[in-house]
Amino acid sequence: MYMIQAMNLSKKFNDNNVLKNLNINVKKGEVLVIIGPSGSGKSTFLRCLNNLEKIDQGNIVIENEILDIKDKKNIIKLTTKMGMVFQNFNLFPHMTVMENIIQAPITVKKENKEEVLKRAEILLEKVGLKDKKDSYPSKLSGGQKQRVAIARALAMNPDIMLFDEPTSALDPELVGEVLNVMKDLAKEGMTMIVVTHEMGFAKEVADRVIFMEDGNVVEEGKPEVIFSSPQQLRTKAFLKKVI
Amino acid sequence: MDTNIILNTLPILLKGSLITLQLTVLTIIIGSTLGIILALLKISENKIVYSLASLYTWIFRGTPLLLQLFFLYYGLPLVGIKMTPFQAALIGLSLNCGAYMAEIIRGGIISIDKGQFEAAKALGFNYIQTMKKIILPQTFRRIIPPIGNEFITILKETSIVSSITMVELMRAAQQMYSTTFKPIEIFLSAGCIYLAMTTIFTCIFSVVEKQVAKYE
Repeated sequence: MYMIQAMNLSKKFNDNNVLKNLNINVKKGEVLVIIGPSGSGKSTFLRCLNNLEKIDQGNIVIENEILDIKDKKNIIKLTTKMGMVFQNFNLFPHMTVMENIIQAPITVKKENKEEVLKRAEILLEKVGLKDKKDSYPSKLSGGQKQRVAIARALAMNPDIMLFDEPTSALDPELVGEVLNVMKDLAKEGMTMIVVTHEMGFAKEVADRVIFMEDGNVVEEGKPEVIFSSPQQLRTKAFLKKVI
Repeated sequence: MDTNIILNTLPILLKGSLITLQLTVLTIIIGSTLGIILALLKISENKIVYSLASLYTWIFRGTPLLLQLFFLYYGLPLVGIKMTPFQAALIGLSLNCGAYMAEIIRGGIISIDKGQFEAAKALGFNYIQTMKKIILPQTFRRIIPPIGNEFITILKETSIVSSITMVELMRAAQQMYSTTFKPIEIFLSAGCIYLAMTTIFTCIFSVVEKQVAKYE
């Protein structure tokens, strides 16, 4: 069963074709890692999936339901099945860690506050930040912020997690703690799409790796194949530069 | 300096200053509400909505408050809308304040990082929820200094409504002057009362600023 089917996606920024008839499907429980040079459209693809960018053409199907970008209810219903983690965390600075996590379930899903609080405690434990629940984001390191952002996304009980270069803004020594949380998620069977430059993570965790360039998929396959014997010249050239 | 004059006129001036305070507080409440609505309309993607809100701020920031008050108090009765001086003063000040507040708030909203809107959207917040829970609370933190300025300006500008026969601190002082002919004592006292009120405002604002700065 496919969790996400992206069919013939096209997206233009002014005259720049960022996505060109892109087709990517993701199965339940699959961890898909997308690599590629900057400007290849990989982040735009993620942002189109949860409607942060509007697609110009094509269809996005989430759990067998077509995303209708004209229907606000449908957008919220389908996009909240996906949790999004941003490169720059985008935590709400005027809220404590705990408030950041519980706000959306309470406001968007109208959930009972007591239950959300319980779930948030468990999530904070999971990302190793139970002692920080009353801190404001400004008091956290980058790695801690990103782990809170992951907990915040998970609090909505998403079926799919989208990671948009989650470690690119972090100091090198803080990357590991975020990747570890992501590895745990993958082990639990979460369906994940990860745009990243962390090739080690891709090798270790990905079920499938896609190399994107110029708005399209150049090559895809199991990580051991992509990284050890890529078929396409462009993939080889890219991997040579980054590894 | 005749200290007796000061002591004798002080109760009347203080009574006037109560009206000044009342006008200021009510203007701030109504003007700020109006300002938030106008600011949201001005960042709207709907061109008609944007144009109407812009027309409003253009008119009210582009003409003198005194003229607006005269129009309300002396002009509108001719088309059958009669107001007491207090009503005209309050409406005039609020409409004017709303235009300035709208610009301050709009500036605050557009200074918020785009990532905050995106995070809210990704979590499923609709427009109203995003504004109420995420954007406006951060906006208010940022605009406290200019808002403090604006409120102090309003407090002082209430003196202009003395010209439509509204008896507040300024007009009370004028009346006392014309009965006593002691301008130095009277206006010095009134000035001190204004200073005291603006000082209290300034203090309140620096406390508020420190309070909301706790998350930084």
